[in-house]
Amino acid sequence: MNNQPSGLVLAGVSKRFGATRALIDGDLHLRPGEIHTLLGENGSGKSTLVKIMGGVHRPDSGTVTLDGVPVTSRSPRAAMDLGIATVFQEVLTAGSQSVLENVWLGSHGTFRRRLGRAAQRSIAQDVLTRIAGAIPLDLPAGQLSLSERQALCIARALVRKPKVLILDESTASLDVSSRDRLFVEMRRLAAEGTAILFISHRMDEVSEISDRVTVLRSGRSVSTMERSDLSINRLIADMTGSSGHAETRRQPHDAGDTILQGAAVRLAPASTPIDFELRAGEIVGLAGLEGHGQDQFIKRLAGVAGGPGSVVRLLPEGAAELTERNGDALGVAYLPRERRGESLFESMSIRENFALPTLGKDRRGGLLDTRSMARRFDAFARSLSLRFGAAHDAISTLSGGNQQKVLLARWLATDPKVLLLNDPTRGVDIGTKREIYAILHLLSAEGMSVVILSSEVDELVDLADRVLIFRDQSVFAQIPHFELSTESIVAAYFGQKSEVHT
Amino acid sequence: MNRVLTMFQRWPFAFAFLLALMLLVLNLIVSPSFLSPARLPGTLATLAPFVLVGFASTPSILAGGIDISVGPLATFINCLFVAILIPAGLGDWHLAAPIILAVAAGIGALNGILVAVVRLHPVVATTGMLFLLVGLSLTIAQNPVAAPDNWTEVFAGGIGIVPGALITIGVAGLTWFALRRTAFVSNLLATGESDVSAYGSGVNIKAIRILAYTLGGLFAGIAGIALTALVQSSQSSLASTYALLGLAAAVLGGTSLAGGRGGLLGALFGAVSIYLLQQLLTASGVAPSLIQFAYGAVLVVGVVLGATLLAPRLKRNPS
Repeated sequence: MNNQPSGLVLAGVSKRFGATRALIDGDLHLRPGEIHTLLGENGSGKSTLVKIMGGVHRPDSGTVTLDGVPVTSRSPRAAMDLGIATVFQEVLTAGSQSVLENVWLGSHGTFRRRLGRAAQRSIAQDVLTRIAGAIPLDLPAGQLSLSERQALCIARALVRKPKVLILDESTASLDVSSRDRLFVEMRRLAAEGTAILFISHRMDEVSEISDRVTVLRSGRSVSTMERSDLSINRLIADMTGSSGHAETRRQPHDAGDTILQGAAVRLAPASTPIDFELRAGEIVGLAGLEGHGQDQFIKRLAGVAGGPGSVVRLLPEGAAELTERNGDALGVAYLPRERRGESLFESMSIRENFALPTLGKDRRGGLLDTRSMARRFDAFARSLSLRFGAAHDAISTLSGGNQQKVLLARWLATDPKVLLLNDPTRGVDIGTKREIYAILHLLSAEGMSVVILSSEVDELVDLADRVLIFRDQSVFAQIPHFELSTESIVAAYFGQKSEVHT
Repeated sequence: MNRVLTMFQRWPFAFAFLLALMLLVLNLIVSPSFLSPARLPGTLATLAPFVLVGFASTPSILAGGIDISVGPLATFINCLFVAILIPAGLGDWHLAAPIILAVAAGIGALNGILVAVVRLHPVVATTGMLFLLVGLSLTIAQNPVAAPDNWTEVFAGGIGIVPGALITIGVAGLTWFALRRTAFVSNLLATGESDVSAYGSGVNIKAIRILAYTLGGLFAGIAGIALTALVQSSQSSLASTYALLGLAAAVLGGTSLAGGRGGLLGALFGAVSIYLLQQLLTASGVAPSLIQFAYGAVLVVGVVLGATLLAPRLKRNPS
């Protein structure tokens, strides 16, 4: 290496927000032509580091250089002008603008358009096809699926032909086939000399794509590993600061009586009807490529979506049909997928977010007893090992993982017998994920039934008693516990019944 | 039915367009000479300030904000021209027009800076500006002052067979049309729709917001010229009339107050609808006190239709 290292170099970078030291000592060397993964729990400083590189934040101290030249970007625009393109964690699209406008958003000057219309169309079409398949360019972006919108954001970065490409959890919302195509594209770009920073919470992705991995912990870079030295146990040890990886895979066990039953549930007019029985103490996984019906199915089970067929809760005194309103009374709790839009009250406190649906329990003579609320909250905070400043802090001060725990506590407080979880660990760090898994194991041992929709294959393998794989709005395969493996699940995603036996 | 809905969703101004068409037919029934060549220039001259104030309201709304001060800005420009520029010997078009447009755009830019840089809420910033402009207008021209013969008369009459009002409306319209061919309007719509997305993608949203208010100011300046052409005097008292008409025209024309959706054509048809409704009610002998009531009713119905029934469904139709 010569004395002016090429690529993007961050040395001793720190950033503080009020009292929080988000980044204390961030070191990272992103070389041209490599795919470099940044790994760390939520709150480890990853996002702050990305936002410094992407021009959103400016570091309090430390240096950032690109090919030896100091970088002092004041905005994403300035970073892009230097050749650093960032795909941020949030899926950023302008919904009523066309796909084409969205792909080129920000590439233009304030007035000056980059390229002619025809060139814009053909490049956009080409880049989108390479990641997501054919997407009509004139469709409003708001009509796309989440996976397609994520692909759109990636395409927006790619059409700029950046020197440095930063992908912050860009695979979190991508369906598996688009993810695989993105990986092909990343390898091609790296071979052409692009430096790629990749962030993902999925260990399978990390071990598949990374040339090098840097681990961040509590705002500091703790280690950088070459591909040849990579081991998942060591990465987890570096991230959590502890060593040793507990065997989390669930042991087979007997389930109880049927407590929830779906009969002839049809997710689309022409699809095969689904019959489904959930037994006490079971953990059932739902999975599939995005948009194949698993999301609709869990909403049907929760009673929040309607349609042909019936979903009933079997109680000792008889069967009761589930509707949008009687979930609480029937002991069925549903945790929606989108924390921000569907679950959180962002300006309210942690405790209020927890207590809202169960305020009836804190009623004393018609008024609210805040001490009772605090007692209830403290009990859950302890059993879920929630990490927070004060219970009256806004929920937005928590990391994604801890927010999810508060929401889990919210629904556990309704004493459910059936817990329906829609992708509960999306965007949650691995430490918190494992805590949530432990809680679910414990609850199911106590007789609670859990249905968990997950976009993470490893999670299903570790957690579920059986997994239903959805294809084309119906159940394509049911994989029993003894056949559960990454291979069998992914094969079923793609319509192959695996013959693998362990 | 579905095809009709799709059309409304694709063209936000379709409702105002059909409303304007219907009102035009009704006007022609009540008063058959409504579109006669003799009346047309006068009709258009009365219409022009409505349309231009509607234009002036549109860019800031598209950018996700709002500018309540464009109507009073138009009347301020009217007072500035009649009560200051003409007496000071700056009344010739080659002196007055650049001054007027620069002052109007400058005041718009000031609104933009207050919103985008100082980060005041647009309602607060532009309401402040509204009172400031009303006060200034009253200070420089408390009572109506008649204007001597001047160049603005052309815009109330005509050049040959071309009604002068088409020039004021046309200049503003062409400016917008030219901007649509640049990246500005795309940037503007994206900023209004989702400023986070636009910023994260590298759009200079501060510049876009300031320019949106500046453009609104510029259009308000042209509205001031069209107003002067019509009234040929300083009319500081008209500020309150025009203050909300522009917003009403833009919103009736399908421009979404949430930002990111709409355009100048909507404001055009919205303003035409309001004007035609006023004409229709007057010609049918409805009491003037009821005319405002009718505006209100049309606006509420129009917005309810636009915002609920005809709003775009952001789901791809299952096919």
